[in-house]
Amino acid sequence: MAVDAATSRPPATELLGARRAGEATLSRVAKSLFFGAALFYLCVPMVAVLIYSFSTRWTANVLPDGYTLEWWQQTLSNPRIQSAFSTSVMLATLTAIIDIAVVVPAAYWSRVRNPHIRPVVELAAAIPFALPYIVIAFGLMQFSGIAAPQYQGTFALLVAGHAAIAFPFVYWAVDGAMAAAGIERLSETAEACGASPFQIVRRIVIPNISPGLVTGGLLSFAASFGEFAMAQIIGRSLDTVPLWSAEMIRSYSDTAGSYNRLAVVTLLTFLLLFALSAVVVYWNRGQTVRLLPGAGAARTGDGR
Amino acid sequence: MSGVSLVGVSKSYGSVKALDHVSIDVCPGELLALLGPSGCGKTTLLRCVAGLERPDKGNVEIGQRDMTLVPTRDRPIGMVFQSYALFPNLTVRKNISFPLEVRRRPRKEIDERVDELLDLVRLSEQAERYPKQISGGQAQRCALGRALAANPEVLLLDEPLSALDALVRGRLRDEIRRIQQRVGITAIYVTHDQSEAMAIADRVAVMNHGRVEQIARPDEIYDMPATQFAATFVGSRNAVELDVRNGRVAIPGAFDIPAPEGTGSRAIAFFRPEDVRVSGPATSNGREAVGMPARVELKVFLGSTTRLHLVGQNGAGPISLYSDLPSHSAREIDEGALVHVEIDPALVQAFPL
Repeated sequence: MAVDAATSRPPATELLGARRAGEATLSRVAKSLFFGAALFYLCVPMVAVLIYSFSTRWTANVLPDGYTLEWWQQTLSNPRIQSAFSTSVMLATLTAIIDIAVVVPAAYWSRVRNPHIRPVVELAAAIPFALPYIVIAFGLMQFSGIAAPQYQGTFALLVAGHAAIAFPFVYWAVDGAMAAAGIERLSETAEACGASPFQIVRRIVIPNISPGLVTGGLLSFAASFGEFAMAQIIGRSLDTVPLWSAEMIRSYSDTAGSYNRLAVVTLLTFLLLFALSAVVVYWNRGQTVRLLPGAGAARTGDGR
Repeated sequence: MSGVSLVGVSKSYGSVKALDHVSIDVCPGELLALLGPSGCGKTTLLRCVAGLERPDKGNVEIGQRDMTLVPTRDRPIGMVFQSYALFPNLTVRKNISFPLEVRRRPRKEIDERVDELLDLVRLSEQAERYPKQISGGQAQRCALGRALAANPEVLLLDEPLSALDALVRGRLRDEIRRIQQRVGITAIYVTHDQSEAMAIADRVAVMNHGRVEQIARPDEIYDMPATQFAATFVGSRNAVELDVRNGRVAIPGAFDIPAPEGTGSRAIAFFRPEDVRVSGPATSNGREAVGMPARVELKVFLGSTTRLHLVGQNGAGPISLYSDLPSHSAREIDEGALVHVEIDPALVQAFPL
């Protein structure tokens, strides 16, 4: 923009304009360099993994000895990997759905109907960030051992555990979106229009917080998909992608190509989450989404 | 047509009394303005009628039916908010049809009614736009259409013009009045702007500290405020504190009236700047000047009128007051000139201090 302004300057200020344009170019170069370095830093590991997934042997040299599609074919046709993938996708999807179904009504209620419970809800939404997952997982295992021993080690218990640790991601995204949309005001207006609470949530609240819903859903999906500690403790009998990956790393059998297959799975995971992120960016284009807890927390300070 | 009755409505927030035993009858088809400074309870009162607040004591009746415990969505009301509160995910047309759709009216009826309303609030051309794509005035007209959609018995307006700029405000005010009269709906209009209340209302209720100080026609309130608060809040007025002598309140030379009942040693007198008669500096016509002598401290040209800041000398000490004159008669009065001031005693109101 600065450069455009400089070229359209009248001749009297041309010199000054040229200098400004020079400065603009310099800062643009600096920006590009910085951006390029950041991009390089982020991409090199992914590129290395990509190359590794296609290489026959890659040990002593800068580049692999040869290239092959074998690992991709093996991985994609491996029933164990397929099942780990589908378990993880199912787990993460259910986690996201449960969290959205629980959090949206709760956040709505705490904002519109009963602001007094907000501090409690916000505290609950901070606990999973404060405690290590491994502690929560042990607690959950102890508790389920007493309360419902038949569920120990099941998929259902792991879903419940993931829903519990991932819900703050949905809560903060949804709460921020509700603040941005001014949901209290819209809700009152809809009520004065004769809408029932269910009609208000379905027709007014959800459409106006959809960016927050999509963002929160993706974050909880990603948190569940990559979660290892809890899956390790609660879902030992299950095979999720992180559990399978850990096993591959521990196996020390590079000759069998397990590291290459691991590279393939890592790339597949990356591509899945990247595609989902692209969907979120597309959904949220032109809209501000407050993701960070700060936005919500700052408001409660003056609200209550 | 239904009226609204509020019977002894009280509401407290902690130790703050937002409404203190308020009783108001709004006649069918009438537009009543609730006028008062912020924090006087006018919005709380409106929200009690809407059901968005529940009174601690007292009853709210709409058309003879007790509504005190009826939830908002079952009350026959339409509401317009200061912030428009249009649904951003719906077009103008869909916003207006929302009250009909949640009531599950037949499609054909909805479409006909919405067309009629779009025409009434003059938004037919903007019907497919989203709230982000229309101006503030258009947004508030849309909100008005939405409030009227389900044929409510009472229209509630909460400072509907406060977010708009001055030009749009005046036009929309007249338009709200036109539509209210055409639909013939009972309306309660909350505002802190006295000129807005005067211009739009059949009756004005002046509120202060959770109480109604006076309910009357705008001209009655303007001419004869019932309380000291009403006098200070409605219209711009001179307020002069005076000693009471022999049961009378007077500025010697300017006016002399009997002291109001219950007056101690001091009283406060109110009179409007346009009622202050100023006779010119020179008694050019030979007539002896009457009234209190006063000096013109400042002359402010306001367009059709000119305001003089006067300091009167009546022996007891200087008295500051304003006078509004038609600009053409103020032309020959200069700053620093000596004039004489008189006020018709019938237009002076005194209250005990």
